[in-house]
Amino acid sequence: MDPFFYLIIFAGAVAGASTGFLGVYIVGMRMPFIGTCISHAAMAGTIFSCLLGIPPTIGAVTFSVFSAMSMAAIPPDKSRLDTNVGLAILFSFMLGLTFLGIGLVESSRSEILGLLWGNILFVQRKSVLAITAIALLLVLFGTFFNKEMKVLLFSRSIASATGVHQGFVYCLFLCLCGITLSVNLQIIGGLMIFSLITNPAAAAYQICRGHRAVVIAATLFGVLSTVSGFLVSFYFDLPTGACIVIVSTVIFALSVLCRLLSNAKI
Amino acid sequence: MSEDFLKLSDIHITRAGKTILHIDHLHIQSGQFVNIIGTNGAGKTTLLKVICGLLKPSAGSVVFNHILINSLNPWQKSNIRKRIGYIPQSTEYNSELPFTAREVAAMGRTSIKPLLTGLSRADYEHVDFWMEKLGLNDQKNQTFRSLSGGEQQKVLIARAMVQEPLMLMLDEPTSNLDFNWKLRISRIVRELHQQPGLTVLMVSHEISSIPVNVDRTILLHKGGILADGNSEQVLTSAVIQDVYECEINIFETEGNKYVFSRELSRQ
Repeated sequence: MDPFFYLIIFAGAVAGASTGFLGVYIVGMRMPFIGTCISHAAMAGTIFSCLLGIPPTIGAVTFSVFSAMSMAAIPPDKSRLDTNVGLAILFSFMLGLTFLGIGLVESSRSEILGLLWGNILFVQRKSVLAITAIALLLVLFGTFFNKEMKVLLFSRSIASATGVHQGFVYCLFLCLCGITLSVNLQIIGGLMIFSLITNPAAAAYQICRGHRAVVIAATLFGVLSTVSGFLVSFYFDLPTGACIVIVSTVIFALSVLCRLLSNAKI
Repeated sequence: MSEDFLKLSDIHITRAGKTILHIDHLHIQSGQFVNIIGTNGAGKTTLLKVICGLLKPSAGSVVFNHILINSLNPWQKSNIRKRIGYIPQSTEYNSELPFTAREVAAMGRTSIKPLLTGLSRADYEHVDFWMEKLGLNDQKNQTFRSLSGGEQQKVLIARAMVQEPLMLMLDEPTSNLDFNWKLRISRIVRELHQQPGLTVLMVSHEISSIPVNVDRTILLHKGGILADGNSEQVLTSAVIQDVYECEINIFETEGNKYVFSRELSRQ
């Protein structure tokens, strides 16, 4: 195997770990659609960066963070709007902006479509550094806001009624979602991000007891999905993204099977 | 007489031009056990949200433990709420996640610990103390989602007590429980009320069995206080028939009051 592939495997592992970790909270809060939503925000941001002549990453991250933060405007206790409906509205708006941009910027279509499907095989060293730095930021967030995030997962109503600074921590989490997903998007693409957010975390929720076990399992399942998906694609000469998505789905299916076969009350 | 712990004056909440809560005057003393009853939509949950500062009234003032909470910013309000133990309705929390019972109880410490700090061994000792006191030792490491409705309610009570609250707010704590668990949870709440200085506010739409040892019963109707006093004064046949718009019988035995609809009694 060419040494360059080690970089791809490392990048995949970091992206899988980051999305698996974030997925614990995103799936737990029942808003997996945020992945697709942020992907399209990043695409819209990339296109408008091209129009304005600024670096695409700046536009992608800005659009992603703003769209993620707009979810904070839906309060937990007095809203008549379900978070997923809010995300669907935002998604359609971002899709509209994306297609508007595609119509306006003819030259960068391939780059934009690359964002949707991802291009892990063309990973650059600086992108790997960026996702590694963000993964470390996630570790810090998970360490310092672990107790608040647990309450937020369990009940945002309890969190706000009992004085947990849930608004602040939730905004911080959304902001981190926007940054993490938009930067990882450049490596693994929007469609793969959606499955890597959802499948490893959903699998962990099936078989784990306790929050720490869920976090560790989801992170490992994320790494397992990307690394083994890549290896399968390498040795059998198959499309990498498709293999990663299928492996993560198989992990979820196996975890459901484990739970059904196990007698333990989980 | 104990001092006033909670004072509400001239509270008005309007939605789309319609008044949904109007309280001219409500004082609750420290250590009181107050039962708030009323029909669906009477304004009970709205009143709880106003008291803990989650809902800002269009007019009026709320003084909680000598602090006027209307004028505080969200961060300061959060600090006030740290001493409110809140037990919500079952629709308000996600019982499908694999948190252990001990993890859920330990969430009570999150309110009183500063940001960026973790829970210490002393915090977990406090958690274990309340789990043992509520008879949850065997369920400690089980997932919350695998427990029965009554056991889940006990874990939520432990979570609230771990917070070392000045006030316990329970929103229809027995609404989804069977008869046996209703009695057990009511007994636990009565025992908790013996904690020095703990004010208990319990909201319920059930009047079929009125708990004993309640200091005060407040009957809300159409957003206002219709009756306020001890159970004997508030729960008269005339008032209940008027509010619930049905004919009822009230039976009293061993200090408890039981309310039956005449239609059901005949069946």
